[in-house]
Amino acid sequence: MELAKVLSQVELFDGLTPSELEQIARICQERSYRSGEVVAQQGATGDELFVIWEGLVEIVHSGSPQDPEPRTMVNLGQGQVFGEMALVDFGPRSATVRVVSDTARLQAIRRDDFLAVCEEHHRVGFVVMRNIAADLSFKLRHQNLMGR
Amino acid sequence: MAPIFKVSYVVAGGGHPGAIVNEDQKPVVGEKVQLGKDEFEVVEVVDLIPARGDFSFLHVTVRPLKN
Repeated sequence: MELAKVLSQVELFDGLTPSELEQIARICQERSYRSGEVVAQQGATGDELFVIWEGLVEIVHSGSPQDPEPRTMVNLGQGQVFGEMALVDFGPRSATVRVVSDTARLQAIRRDDFLAVCEEHHRVGFVVMRNIAADLSFKLRHQNLMGR
Repeated sequence: MAPIFKVSYVVAGGGHPGAIVNEDQKPVVGEKVQLGKDEFEVVEVVDLIPARGDFSFLHVTVRPLKN
């Protein structure tokens, strides 16, 4: 399927026009991973946002570098995003992301590329930032439900 | 565009972190779902927040199926 069409099915890009989706598609880089591969390491510098095209990843958080029992916070599948915190706050990765399905196909978007699109097309920046906030809110709601 | 169901899967009984996944079809009670290498049965489906655009947001409780 055409990348822009796939991106239209990702909540992060909900509300973008076809031409705006094309702008985003142009800055995507496809990556493929196998089961067990680490996509992002907690504490590392990160400047990319990832969109899951296919597969399932686990988000694992350690209380400290020597934590003997890191905790899997959530699994994320098709259509979900991770790495958005680094896009927004420029901080280190807050968790480790590991592939748990046999394979995974991701689309990576570099922060500088994304911000350049936002500078040129302010509406894209507004819509995506609003959707990032909604996605973070959904993840918080999921965590709240886990604690019931 | 066809509706998209953004689902928060929560596993009854704890011990599993659950998952967030986009689905093409709305999950129904009794249906089996695969999350990674594990299989589960849907036991409850509720709207988590109001739908927006083409997206519906669901909370689905599942229970593990023994292999």
